[in-house]
Amino acid sequence: MEFLSQAVLLFKKDLLLELRRRESLLTMFFFGTLLLFVFHFSFDLAPDRIAEMAPALLWLAFLFTGTLGLAQLFEGERANHCLEALLLSPMDRGAFFVAKTCFNLVLMVLVEIVIIPLFWILFNLPNWELVPDLFLVTLLGTVGFCVLGTLFAAVTLKARARELLLPLILFPLMVPVILATIRCMEAILRNGELGDALPWLRLLVGFDVIFLTVGVLIFDWVIEF
Amino acid sequence: MHVTVSHLAKAYGALWALRDVSLDLPPGEFVALLGPNGAGKTTLLKLLAGLLSPTAGDIGFDGHKFRYSDTRHRSAIGFLAPGEHLYENLTVRENLIFFTSLYKQYGAVSRIGAVLEEVGLKQRSEEYVATLSSGMKCRLSIAKWKLLDPGMLLLDEPYGVLDGNGVDLLERFLRAQRNKGSVLIMASHHVSRALSLCTRALILHQGRLTFDETRQQPWHSLTRAFGEFMPHGESWNS
Repeated sequence: MEFLSQAVLLFKKDLLLELRRRESLLTMFFFGTLLLFVFHFSFDLAPDRIAEMAPALLWLAFLFTGTLGLAQLFEGERANHCLEALLLSPMDRGAFFVAKTCFNLVLMVLVEIVIIPLFWILFNLPNWELVPDLFLVTLLGTVGFCVLGTLFAAVTLKARARELLLPLILFPLMVPVILATIRCMEAILRNGELGDALPWLRLLVGFDVIFLTVGVLIFDWVIEF
Repeated sequence: MHVTVSHLAKAYGALWALRDVSLDLPPGEFVALLGPNGAGKTTLLKLLAGLLSPTAGDIGFDGHKFRYSDTRHRSAIGFLAPGEHLYENLTVRENLIFFTSLYKQYGAVSRIGAVLEEVGLKQRSEEYVATLSSGMKCRLSIAKWKLLDPGMLLLDEPYGVLDGNGVDLLERFLRAQRNKGSVLIMASHHVSRALSLCTRALILHQGRLTFDETRQQPWHSLTRAFGEFMPHGESWNS
Protein backbone atom coordinates (compact mmCIF):
# COMPACT_ATOMS: atom_id res chain seq x y z
CA MET A 1 0.00 0.00 0.00
CA GLU A 2 2.88 2.31 0.90
CA PHE A 3 4.53 1.37 -2.40
CA LEU A 4 1.42 2.40 -4.34
CA SER A 5 0.90 5.67 -2.45
CA GLN A 6 4.52 6.64 -3.17
CA ALA A 7 4.14 5.73 -6.84
CA VAL A 8 0.95 7.83 -7.03
CA LEU A 9 2.66 10.78 -5.30
CA LEU A 10 5.59 10.68 -7.75
CA PHE A 11 3.29 10.18 -10.75
CA LYS A 12 1.11 13.16 -9.75
CA LYS A 13 4.21 15.31 -9.36
CA ASP A 14 5.40 14.37 -12.87
CA LEU A 15 1.96 15.03 -14.32
CA LEU A 16 1.79 18.44 -12.62
CA LEU A 17 5.25 19.37 -13.90
CA GLU A 18 4.30 18.28 -17.43
CA LEU A 19 1.05 20.26 -17.31
CA ARG A 20 3.09 23.34 -16.45
CA ARG A 21 6.01 22.85 -18.81
CA ARG A 22 4.13 21.07 -21.63
CA GLU A 23 7.47 20.16 -23.16
CA SER A 24 7.32 16.40 -23.64
CA LEU A 25 3.71 16.02 -24.75
CA LEU A 26 3.72 18.87 -27.26
CA THR A 27 7.06 17.77 -28.75
CA MET A 28 5.87 14.17 -29.06
CA PHE A 29 2.53 15.18 -30.53
CA PHE A 30 3.98 17.49 -33.18
CA PHE A 31 6.76 15.09 -34.10
CA GLY A 32 4.30 12.19 -34.42
CA THR A 33 1.96 14.26 -36.59
CA LEU A 34 4.87 15.41 -38.72
CA LEU A 35 5.96 11.81 -39.28
CA LEU A 36 2.45 10.85 -40.38
CA PHE A 37 2.46 13.63 -42.96
CA VAL A 38 5.88 12.49 -44.22
CA PHE A 39 4.54 8.91 -44.52
CA HIS A 40 1.42 10.23 -46.24
CA PHE A 41 3.45 11.99 -48.92
CA SER A 42 5.95 9.11 -49.28
CA PHE A 43 3.73 6.03 -49.43
CA ASP A 44 0.62 5.13 -51.29
CA LEU A 45 -1.22 2.47 -49.31
CA ALA A 46 -3.05 0.24 -51.76
CA PRO A 47 -6.02 -1.55 -50.11
CA ASP A 48 -4.33 -4.97 -50.44
CA ARG A 49 -1.20 -3.73 -48.66
CA ILE A 50 -2.89 -2.02 -45.72
CA ALA A 51 -2.49 -4.98 -43.33
CA GLU A 52 1.16 -5.30 -44.26
CA MET A 53 2.18 -1.63 -44.16
CA ALA A 54 -0.05 0.21 -41.68
CA PRO A 55 1.17 -1.51 -38.45
CA ALA A 56 4.82 -1.01 -39.39
CA LEU A 57 4.35 2.67 -40.24
CA LEU A 58 2.33 3.31 -37.10
CA TRP A 59 4.97 1.66 -34.93
CA LEU A 60 7.72 3.57 -36.61
CA ALA A 61 5.93 6.77 -35.56
CA PHE A 62 5.35 5.45 -32.01
CA LEU A 63 8.98 4.42 -31.61
CA PHE A 64 10.39 7.78 -32.66
CA THR A 65 7.91 9.87 -30.69
CA GLY A 66 8.31 7.56 -27.70
CA THR A 67 12.08 7.95 -27.80
CA LEU A 68 11.64 11.72 -27.68
CA GLY A 69 9.52 11.29 -24.57
CA LEU A 70 12.08 8.98 -22.97
CA ALA A 71 14.87 11.51 -23.55
CA GLN A 72 12.86 14.03 -21.51
CA LEU A 73 11.70 11.55 -18.86
CA PHE A 74 14.24 12.41 -16.17
CA GLU A 75 14.82 16.04 -17.14
CA GLY A 76 12.65 17.29 -14.25
CA GLU A 77 14.94 15.41 -11.86
CA ARG A 78 18.18 16.50 -13.50
CA ALA A 79 17.45 20.17 -12.86
CA ASN A 80 18.47 21.41 -9.44
CA HIS A 81 19.79 17.96 -8.41
CA CYS A 82 16.25 16.82 -7.67
CA LEU A 83 17.16 13.22 -8.44
CA GLU A 84 19.62 13.43 -5.55
CA ALA A 85 16.79 14.71 -3.33
CA LEU A 86 14.62 11.74 -4.33
CA LEU A 87 17.40 9.20 -3.78
CA LEU A 88 18.14 10.74 -0.41
CA SER A 89 14.52 10.31 0.66
CA PRO A 90 13.03 7.06 2.03
CA MET A 91 11.19 6.58 -1.28
CA ASP A 92 10.97 3.04 -2.64
CA ARG A 93 12.96 3.04 -5.90
CA GLY A 94 10.57 0.46 -7.35
CA ALA A 95 7.74 2.95 -6.82
CA PHE A 96 9.83 5.55 -8.60
CA PHE A 97 10.20 3.18 -11.57
CA VAL A 98 6.47 2.44 -11.66
CA ALA A 99 5.62 6.17 -11.46
CA LYS A 100 8.00 7.05 -14.31
CA THR A 101 6.74 4.15 -16.44
CA CYS A 102 3.11 5.14 -15.88
CA PHE A 103 3.86 8.79 -16.65
CA ASN A 104 5.61 7.82 -19.89
CA LEU A 105 2.73 5.48 -20.73
CA VAL A 106 0.16 8.26 -20.25
CA LEU A 107 2.12 10.56 -22.59
CA MET A 108 2.41 7.88 -25.26
CA VAL A 109 -1.23 6.85 -25.02
CA LEU A 110 -2.33 10.48 -25.39
CA VAL A 111 -0.18 10.76 -28.52
CA GLU A 112 -1.50 7.44 -29.88
CA ILE A 113 -5.10 8.54 -29.32
CA VAL A 114 -4.40 11.32 -31.83
CA ILE A 115 -2.04 9.48 -34.17
CA ILE A 116 -4.08 6.33 -34.88
CA PRO A 117 -7.28 8.10 -36.06
CA LEU A 118 -5.16 10.67 -37.92
CA PHE A 119 -3.38 7.82 -39.73
CA TRP A 120 -6.75 6.38 -40.76
CA ILE A 121 -7.92 9.77 -42.03
CA LEU A 122 -4.71 10.63 -43.90
CA PHE A 123 -4.54 7.28 -45.69
CA ASN A 124 -8.31 7.18 -46.15
CA LEU A 125 -8.47 3.68 -44.68
CA PRO A 126 -11.68 1.68 -44.30
CA ASN A 127 -12.47 -0.60 -41.33
CA TRP A 128 -12.86 2.08 -38.64
CA GLU A 129 -14.50 -0.62 -36.51
CA LEU A 130 -11.08 -2.29 -36.12
CA VAL A 131 -9.46 0.78 -34.58
CA PRO A 132 -10.44 -0.03 -30.92
CA ASP A 133 -8.96 -3.56 -31.22
CA LEU A 134 -5.82 -2.17 -32.81
CA PHE A 135 -5.58 0.39 -30.05
CA LEU A 136 -5.78 -2.32 -27.37
CA VAL A 137 -2.93 -4.28 -28.98
CA THR A 138 -0.96 -1.06 -29.39
CA LEU A 139 -1.49 -0.37 -25.69
CA LEU A 140 0.14 -3.69 -24.77
CA GLY A 141 3.07 -2.90 -27.04
CA THR A 142 3.33 0.59 -25.57
CA VAL A 143 3.48 -0.82 -22.04
CA GLY A 144 6.46 -2.95 -23.13
CA PHE A 145 8.12 0.04 -24.74
CA CYS A 146 7.59 2.23 -21.66
CA VAL A 147 8.80 -0.41 -19.19
CA LEU A 148 12.01 -1.14 -21.07
CA GLY A 149 12.43 2.49 -22.13
CA THR A 150 12.18 3.80 -18.56
CA LEU A 151 14.70 1.23 -17.40
CA PHE A 152 17.24 2.19 -20.06
CA ALA A 153 16.53 5.92 -19.78
CA ALA A 154 17.68 5.51 -16.16
CA VAL A 155 20.71 3.42 -17.20
CA THR A 156 21.86 6.11 -19.66
CA LEU A 157 20.99 8.98 -17.33
CA LYS A 158 24.58 9.84 -16.56
CA ALA A 159 25.96 9.08 -20.02
CA ARG A 160 27.26 12.05 -22.00
CA ALA A 161 25.57 11.23 -25.32
CA ARG A 162 22.47 9.70 -23.74
CA GLU A 163 20.07 10.90 -26.48
CA LEU A 164 22.13 8.90 -28.98
CA LEU A 165 22.89 5.99 -26.69
CA LEU A 166 19.32 5.33 -25.56
CA PRO A 167 17.84 4.31 -28.95
CA LEU A 168 20.99 2.35 -29.79
CA ILE A 169 20.51 0.19 -26.71
CA LEU A 170 16.74 0.21 -26.61
CA PHE A 171 15.70 -0.53 -30.20
CA PRO A 172 17.41 -3.95 -30.53
CA LEU A 173 15.90 -5.02 -27.20
CA MET A 174 12.49 -3.84 -28.35
CA VAL A 175 12.42 -6.26 -31.31
CA PRO A 176 10.19 -8.88 -29.58
CA VAL A 177 7.65 -6.19 -28.60
CA ILE A 178 7.60 -4.54 -32.01
CA LEU A 179 7.40 -7.85 -33.85
CA ALA A 180 4.62 -9.21 -31.62
CA THR A 181 2.57 -6.00 -31.80
CA ILE A 182 2.91 -5.71 -35.57
CA ARG A 183 1.94 -9.37 -36.10
CA CYS A 184 -1.13 -8.92 -33.87
CA MET A 185 -2.16 -5.72 -35.66
CA GLU A 186 -1.60 -7.36 -39.04
CA ALA A 187 -3.87 -10.27 -38.06
CA ILE A 188 -6.59 -7.90 -36.90
CA LEU A 189 -6.40 -5.89 -40.13
CA ARG A 190 -6.49 -9.03 -42.30
CA ASN A 191 -9.11 -11.11 -40.49
CA GLY A 192 -10.82 -8.71 -38.10
CA GLU A 193 -9.61 -10.89 -35.20
CA LEU A 194 -6.38 -12.20 -33.69
CA GLY A 195 -6.78 -15.81 -34.88
CA ASP A 196 -3.31 -17.28 -35.50
CA ALA A 197 -1.63 -14.27 -33.89
CA LEU A 198 -2.72 -15.28 -30.36
CA PRO A 199 0.78 -16.63 -29.46
CA TRP A 200 2.19 -13.19 -30.37
CA LEU A 201 -0.28 -11.59 -27.98
CA ARG A 202 0.84 -14.00 -25.24
CA LEU A 203 4.43 -13.08 -25.94
CA LEU A 204 3.53 -9.41 -25.63
CA VAL A 205 1.75 -9.86 -22.30
CA GLY A 206 4.60 -12.04 -21.02
CA PHE A 207 7.18 -9.46 -22.03
CA ASP A 208 5.25 -6.68 -20.26
CA VAL A 209 4.83 -8.67 -17.03
CA ILE A 210 8.41 -9.96 -16.93
CA PHE A 211 10.12 -6.64 -17.61
CA LEU A 212 7.81 -4.70 -15.29
CA THR A 213 8.70 -7.12 -12.48
CA VAL A 214 12.40 -7.05 -13.35
CA GLY A 215 12.31 -3.23 -13.49
CA VAL A 216 10.74 -2.92 -10.03
CA LEU A 217 13.29 -5.36 -8.61
CA ILE A 218 16.45 -3.93 -10.15
CA PHE A 219 15.67 -0.21 -10.35
CA ASP A 220 17.29 0.34 -6.96
CA TRP A 221 20.57 -0.85 -8.48
CA VAL A 222 20.02 0.88 -11.84
CA ILE A 223 19.39 4.35 -10.45
CA GLU A 224 22.12 4.22 -7.79
CA PHE A 225 24.83 6.85 -8.10
CA MET B 1 21.20 9.57 16.60
CA HIS B 2 24.67 8.11 17.16
CA VAL B 3 26.79 8.00 14.02
CA THR B 4 29.91 5.89 13.62
CA VAL B 5 32.22 5.87 10.64
CA SER B 6 34.97 3.30 10.38
CA HIS B 7 37.81 3.31 7.86
CA LEU B 8 35.67 4.99 5.22
CA ALA B 9 37.28 5.42 1.81
CA LYS B 10 36.11 6.43 -1.62
CA ALA B 11 37.99 6.18 -4.91
CA TYR B 12 36.91 7.57 -8.27
CA GLY B 13 38.83 5.29 -10.60
CA ALA B 14 42.47 5.60 -9.58
CA LEU B 15 41.87 8.81 -7.62
CA TRP B 16 41.27 8.47 -3.90
CA ALA B 17 38.88 11.23 -2.83
CA LEU B 18 38.73 9.98 0.75
CA ARG B 19 40.97 7.60 2.68
CA ASP B 20 40.59 5.82 5.99
CA VAL B 21 38.22 8.22 7.78
CA SER B 22 36.97 7.04 11.17
CA LEU B 23 34.61 9.03 13.41
CA ASP B 24 32.36 8.58 16.39
CA LEU B 25 29.64 11.22 16.59
CA PRO B 26 27.33 11.07 19.62
CA PRO B 27 23.87 12.70 19.58
CA GLY B 28 24.03 16.49 19.63
CA GLU B 29 27.49 16.63 18.07
CA PHE B 30 27.93 19.59 15.71
CA VAL B 31 30.91 19.07 13.44
CA ALA B 32 32.57 21.81 11.42
CA LEU B 33 34.07 20.08 8.39
CA LEU B 34 36.89 22.21 7.07
CA GLY B 35 39.47 21.93 4.36
CA PRO B 36 40.55 23.41 1.05
CA ASN B 37 38.70 22.83 -2.25
CA GLY B 38 38.96 19.21 -3.36
CA ALA B 39 39.79 17.95 0.13
CA GLY B 40 36.92 15.43 0.09
CA LYS B 41 34.35 17.31 2.20
CA THR B 42 31.43 16.88 -0.20
CA THR B 43 32.43 13.28 -0.87
CA LEU B 44 32.29 12.54 2.86
CA LEU B 45 28.87 14.23 3.14
CA LYS B 46 27.52 12.29 0.16
CA LEU B 47 28.83 9.00 1.57
CA LEU B 48 27.10 9.73 4.87
CA ALA B 49 23.92 10.60 2.97
CA GLY B 50 24.05 7.34 1.03
CA LEU B 51 24.31 9.23 -2.26
CA LEU B 52 27.65 7.54 -2.93
CA SER B 53 28.66 4.01 -2.07
CA PRO B 54 31.99 3.68 -0.26
CA THR B 55 34.95 1.87 -1.78
CA ALA B 56 35.85 0.65 1.71
CA GLY B 57 34.67 1.09 5.27
CA ASP B 58 31.33 1.23 7.07
CA ILE B 59 28.85 3.76 8.40
CA GLY B 60 26.68 2.95 11.40
CA PHE B 61 23.57 4.61 12.83
CA ASP B 62 22.68 3.85 16.44
CA GLY B 63 24.78 0.69 16.35
CA HIS B 64 23.29 -0.64 13.11
CA LYS B 65 25.24 -0.78 9.89
CA PHE B 66 23.88 1.79 7.41
CA ARG B 67 22.17 -0.07 4.63
CA TYR B 68 21.36 1.98 1.60
CA SER B 69 18.21 -0.03 0.99
CA ASP B 70 16.89 0.60 4.51
CA THR B 71 14.29 3.36 4.20
CA ARG B 72 14.30 3.96 7.99
CA HIS B 73 17.94 4.98 7.81
CA ARG B 74 17.35 7.25 4.84
CA SER B 75 14.39 8.98 6.48
CA ALA B 76 16.70 10.02 9.34
CA ILE B 77 19.22 11.73 7.05
CA GLY B 78 18.90 15.33 5.93
CA PHE B 79 21.08 17.06 3.37
CA LEU B 80 20.84 20.83 3.22
CA ALA B 81 22.38 22.18 0.03
CA PRO B 82 20.91 25.67 -0.29
CA GLY B 83 18.67 26.24 -3.28
CA GLU B 84 19.15 22.70 -4.56
CA HIS B 85 16.86 19.69 -4.26
CA LEU B 86 13.78 21.79 -5.05
CA TYR B 87 11.46 21.55 -8.05
CA GLU B 88 11.53 24.87 -9.87
CA ASN B 89 8.14 24.36 -11.54
CA LEU B 90 6.32 23.57 -8.32
CA THR B 91 5.24 26.32 -5.95
CA VAL B 92 6.90 26.85 -2.59
CA ARG B 93 4.00 25.14 -0.81
CA GLU B 94 3.78 22.29 -3.35
CA ASN B 95 7.49 21.53 -2.85
CA LEU B 96 7.03 21.30 0.90
CA ILE B 97 3.89 19.17 0.60
CA PHE B 98 5.66 16.85 -1.86
CA PHE B 99 8.73 16.31 0.31
CA THR B 100 6.83 15.95 3.59
CA SER B 101 4.62 13.33 1.91
CA LEU B 102 7.66 11.56 0.45
CA TYR B 103 9.17 11.38 3.95
CA LYS B 104 5.78 10.20 5.25
CA GLN B 105 5.68 13.14 7.66
CA TYR B 106 2.01 13.76 6.99
CA GLY B 107 1.58 15.66 10.27
CA ALA B 108 4.11 18.23 9.11
CA VAL B 109 1.79 19.40 6.33
CA SER B 110 -0.28 21.33 8.85
CA ARG B 111 2.87 23.17 10.02
CA ILE B 112 3.87 24.38 6.55
CA GLY B 113 2.19 27.78 6.95
CA ALA B 114 3.87 28.42 10.30
CA VAL B 115 7.31 27.35 9.05
CA LEU B 116 6.98 29.53 5.94
CA GLU B 117 6.10 32.44 8.23
CA GLU B 118 9.26 31.75 10.27
CA VAL B 119 11.52 31.75 7.20
CA GLY B 120 9.81 34.81 5.72
CA LEU B 121 8.25 33.07 2.72
CA LYS B 122 4.59 33.10 3.73
CA GLN B 123 3.73 35.76 1.15
CA ARG B 124 5.48 33.78 -1.60
CA SER B 125 4.00 30.37 -0.77
CA GLU B 126 1.94 30.13 -3.98
CA GLU B 127 4.75 31.25 -6.28
CA TYR B 128 6.92 28.93 -8.33
CA VAL B 129 10.36 28.23 -6.89
CA ALA B 130 11.85 29.36 -10.23
CA THR B 131 10.69 32.91 -9.46
CA LEU B 132 12.46 33.06 -6.08
CA SER B 133 15.83 34.70 -5.58
CA SER B 134 18.81 32.51 -4.56
CA GLY B 135 18.54 33.73 -0.97
CA MET B 136 14.87 32.83 -0.82
CA LYS B 137 15.62 29.38 -2.19
CA CYS B 138 18.12 28.97 0.67
CA ARG B 139 15.34 29.91 3.09
CA LEU B 140 13.04 27.38 1.46
CA SER B 141 15.69 24.67 1.91
CA ILE B 142 15.82 25.57 5.61
CA ALA B 143 12.01 25.39 5.80
CA LYS B 144 12.08 21.94 4.18
CA TRP B 145 14.47 20.48 6.76
CA LYS B 146 12.71 22.27 9.60
CA LEU B 147 9.61 20.32 8.66
CA LEU B 148 11.40 17.01 8.08
CA ASP B 149 13.42 17.22 11.31
CA PRO B 150 16.15 14.65 10.50
CA GLY B 151 18.27 12.81 13.08
CA MET B 152 21.43 13.67 11.16
CA LEU B 153 21.69 16.84 9.10
CA LEU B 154 24.47 17.25 6.58
CA LEU B 155 25.12 20.78 5.38
CA ASP B 156 27.11 21.65 2.27
CA GLU B 157 27.97 25.36 2.24
CA PRO B 158 24.64 26.18 3.91
CA TYR B 159 25.20 29.93 4.10
CA GLY B 160 24.97 30.21 0.31
CA VAL B 161 23.82 33.75 -0.44
CA LEU B 162 21.79 34.23 2.74
CA ASP B 163 21.47 37.80 4.01
CA GLY B 164 22.11 38.70 7.67
CA ASN B 165 18.58 37.82 8.70
CA GLY B 166 18.79 34.53 6.81
CA VAL B 167 22.07 33.63 8.53
CA ASP B 168 20.43 34.23 11.94
CA LEU B 169 17.51 32.07 10.86
CA LEU B 170 19.81 29.24 9.75
CA GLU B 171 21.90 29.37 12.91
CA ARG B 172 18.82 29.39 15.16
CA PHE B 173 17.58 26.32 13.32
CA LEU B 174 20.95 24.54 13.63
CA ARG B 175 21.20 25.28 17.36
CA ALA B 176 17.66 23.96 17.86
CA GLN B 177 18.51 20.76 15.96
CA ARG B 178 21.68 20.28 18.02
CA ASN B 179 19.68 20.74 21.24
CA LYS B 180 17.22 18.09 20.06
CA GLY B 181 20.11 15.60 19.77
CA SER B 182 20.58 15.65 16.00
CA VAL B 183 24.07 15.12 14.63
CA LEU B 184 25.08 18.02 12.39
CA ILE B 185 28.00 18.02 9.98
CA MET B 186 28.64 21.28 8.21
CA ALA B 187 31.12 21.73 5.37
CA SER B 188 31.72 25.43 4.94
CA HIS B 189 34.31 27.97 3.95
CA HIS B 190 32.71 30.44 6.40
CA VAL B 191 35.21 29.21 8.98
CA SER B 192 34.50 31.62 11.82
CA ARG B 193 30.74 31.05 11.55
CA ALA B 194 31.14 27.27 11.43
CA LEU B 195 33.50 27.32 14.42
CA SER B 196 31.20 29.55 16.46
CA LEU B 197 28.49 26.87 16.25
CA CYS B 198 30.42 23.61 16.33
CA THR B 199 31.27 21.28 19.18
CA ARG B 200 34.03 19.64 17.17
CA ALA B 201 36.16 20.44 14.13
CA LEU B 202 37.52 18.15 11.44
CA ILE B 203 40.02 19.11 8.78
CA LEU B 204 40.26 17.10 5.61
CA HIS B 205 43.25 17.50 3.34
CA GLN B 206 43.72 15.47 0.16
CA GLY B 207 41.13 12.99 1.34
CA ARG B 208 42.73 12.35 4.72
CA LEU B 209 41.50 13.43 8.11
CA THR B 210 44.36 15.57 9.39
CA PHE B 211 42.63 17.14 12.39
CA ASP B 212 39.85 15.97 14.72
CA GLU B 213 39.34 17.78 18.03
CA THR B 214 36.48 18.80 20.26
CA ARG B 215 35.98 22.51 20.80
CA GLN B 216 38.56 24.31 22.92
CA GLN B 217 38.96 27.91 24.03
CA PRO B 218 41.39 29.19 22.83
CA TRP B 219 41.90 26.74 20.02
CA HIS B 220 45.59 27.09 19.15
CA SER B 221 45.93 23.61 17.63
CA LEU B 222 43.21 24.43 15.11
CA THR B 223 44.88 27.74 14.29
CA ARG B 224 48.10 25.88 13.53
CA ALA B 225 46.37 23.11 11.57
CA PHE B 226 44.06 25.32 9.54
CA GLY B 227 46.30 28.33 9.14
CA GLU B 228 47.86 27.13 5.91
CA PHE B 229 44.45 26.99 4.18
CA MET B 230 43.40 30.54 5.12
CA PRO B 231 43.79 33.34 2.57
CA HIS B 232 46.93 35.38 3.14
CA GLY B 233 46.49 37.92 5.92
CA GLU B 234 43.14 36.53 7.11
CA SER B 235 42.33 34.85 10.38
CA TRP B 236 39.32 33.52 12.22
CA ASN B 237 38.11 34.34 15.71
CA SER B 238 37.90 31.36 18.02
